[in-house]
Amino acid sequence: MNKPVAHAAERRPTDWKSPAMQKRIRRRYAAERRFRVLGASAVILSATFLAFLLFTMVAQGWRGFTVTELALPIDLKADGLKVERGQLATPAADLALAGAGLEDVVQNAAVRAFGPEGGDYLAPSAWVTVREAIKRDPAMLEQRTVLHVPAATGIDQALAGNGDAATDAAVARLQKQGAIRRGFNWTFLHESDSTDPVAVGIWGALKGSLLTMAITFLIAFPVGVLSAIYLEEYAPKNRWTDLIEVSINNLAAVPSIIFGLLGLAVFLGTWEIGGRVYGPMLPRSAALVGGVTLALMIMPVIVIASRNAIKGVPPSIRDAALGIGASPIQVVFHHVLPLAMPGILTGTIIGMARALGETAPLLLIGMRAFIVTPPQGITDPATVLPVQIFLWSDEVSRGFVEKTSAAILVLLAVLLAMNGLAIYLRNKFETRW
Amino acid sequence: MTIAPSPAPHKMSARDVSVFYGAKQAVNNVSIDVDMDKVTAFIGPSGCGKSTFLRTLNRMNDTIATARVSGQIMLDGEDIYSQDMDVVQLRARVGMVFQKPNPFPKSIFENVAYGPRIHGLAGSKTDLEGIVERSLKRAGLWEEVKDRLSDSGTALSGGQQQRLCIARAIAVDPEVILMDEPASALDPIATAKIEELIHELRGRYAIVIVTHNMQQAARVSQRTAFFHLGQLVEYGETDNIFTAPREERTKDYITGRYG
Repeated sequence: MNKPVAHAAERRPTDWKSPAMQKRIRRRYAAERRFRVLGASAVILSATFLAFLLFTMVAQGWRGFTVTELALPIDLKADGLKVERGQLATPAADLALAGAGLEDVVQNAAVRAFGPEGGDYLAPSAWVTVREAIKRDPAMLEQRTVLHVPAATGIDQALAGNGDAATDAAVARLQKQGAIRRGFNWTFLHESDSTDPVAVGIWGALKGSLLTMAITFLIAFPVGVLSAIYLEEYAPKNRWTDLIEVSINNLAAVPSIIFGLLGLAVFLGTWEIGGRVYGPMLPRSAALVGGVTLALMIMPVIVIASRNAIKGVPPSIRDAALGIGASPIQVVFHHVLPLAMPGILTGTIIGMARALGETAPLLLIGMRAFIVTPPQGITDPATVLPVQIFLWSDEVSRGFVEKTSAAILVLLAVLLAMNGLAIYLRNKFETRW
Repeated sequence: MTIAPSPAPHKMSARDVSVFYGAKQAVNNVSIDVDMDKVTAFIGPSGCGKSTFLRTLNRMNDTIATARVSGQIMLDGEDIYSQDMDVVQLRARVGMVFQKPNPFPKSIFENVAYGPRIHGLAGSKTDLEGIVERSLKRAGLWEEVKDRLSDSGTALSGGQQQRLCIARAIAVDPEVILMDEPASALDPIATAKIEELIHELRGRYAIVIVTHNMQQAARVSQRTAFFHLGQLVEYGETDNIFTAPREERTKDYITGRYG
């Protein structure tokens, strides 16, 4: 057989080195490179946006955590403040000090120290700082002391480069006197809203947010998870459960403001039935009504995430448990739920993060009120972080710009803490197969 | 169906059992008896209804919404589909081992202890430890795992996992053990160990095993039932089935005409 037999139908062996093949290989490599570059640029673009956001917020916000203080020499006895030491320990101390004209005394001290306009250099709340200092140290009543009191917004802003000619001159004079210092603004961490940007604090809104989140979690988590368990493990598959499934998916997509209107109508509405007026069910502006409304909003998210997590538990585990005589409820609580927990928690945290950042529905149920004291409980009027940010961003005074950014930083910190907790819990519940 | 009359009443007997999935009939009028101290093998081609029928014996078909069972299945003379039968207790008395090893993603100890715990079979911690040790010993796994009882059951090899599942089933002290192709996912050595184990367990329990593998049926069982198209074609002593089948279809299957 020295002559190969040529079959017409037989294909020639593939030439892996042909130019066409080479071209195909080059094209394949190019496509791979292109895709990798595109993916990397997408990541870089989003990282840049994030870095830009964080940079802007920190650049503007850090000043919100600081305060400009003036060293105010004050001699209460010489200025004629008539208050007995004994009164200071009583609850009536604030009233006694205000009645004795402490505010005027502080103004006079400022005029004496900083010149005729000295009184305007102090924040309106400066005398409150003095009052608290006296209560801490009653010896102040008899001797001359130098106290650091918050400076007026004008002085503070002039230091940041936003002052007019007159204030700039005043700042220069004060600096020459060595009376200005900048320090950490503890007030911002433990006070609430105020009309004066120097005196505002985030604590009221933060506490409001935490209370609201607690209510939201306590309602949405158990109800959502139990609904998911029932729908996945117990409910018969028929037209009704299909309808429920479609409704839940639709609810998850409903804009949040609709939930705000729902909360307003249902929880804060009144009904006249047979001549008697019923309602409102819940107090206005409170963490309770906010939490319930947000719970309604994120429940579908939790139900959907939990159902998917429960679906993801291998059926062989259910068989194994049923096969040795576990009851359906034991199967769910001993096996299915622990295995689904990481997924359920992830969904819950996504929902909670959404609730934490939600503003629109809360505006409708009155959580946009001007609240100067932190809520003592879930029925007290309260506001929440995003609403506080919204309110401050609306203020005219320049001092509020940095407070707004500072509040955004606090909100981001809370979000980060929540996500961190979620990751921790997920790893804790994660099963190694 | 010639079965030598046994002096004791049958452990389980099925009469005219049919199983429907919706409108489709998967098992058609099957009557069969299962006795203590015997291994009964169900053989037949894929989709012949042998696994479905096996799952009626401890009512695992209840978990399938569309499945419907007719006929009568007795366990010690009690109808297991009657209102008085508690299905949870039934499944403890009629244990099951599945095709794919399915240990819980918990420790080896917890895997075995779970059943006794939910049924309240152990009076104390030492009692429970005793049950776990005894079950693992009976399943032939004790020597391999006694030093690492707190390791995850899913970290074991496939064959060990399946023996762990057998230990888990016998820990609740069943009377009947159903095995649904217990070795089909295992390598030959692990399979041999499972078969050996079935031999050893035979004296204590009535064992029903579904298998695809005719050699396995011949090796481990005393009785063999051949299923085809949802019907029980032939049931008898394993030796007779494999050497002198009465039905043409049985012969065709055993000689490999179809599979």
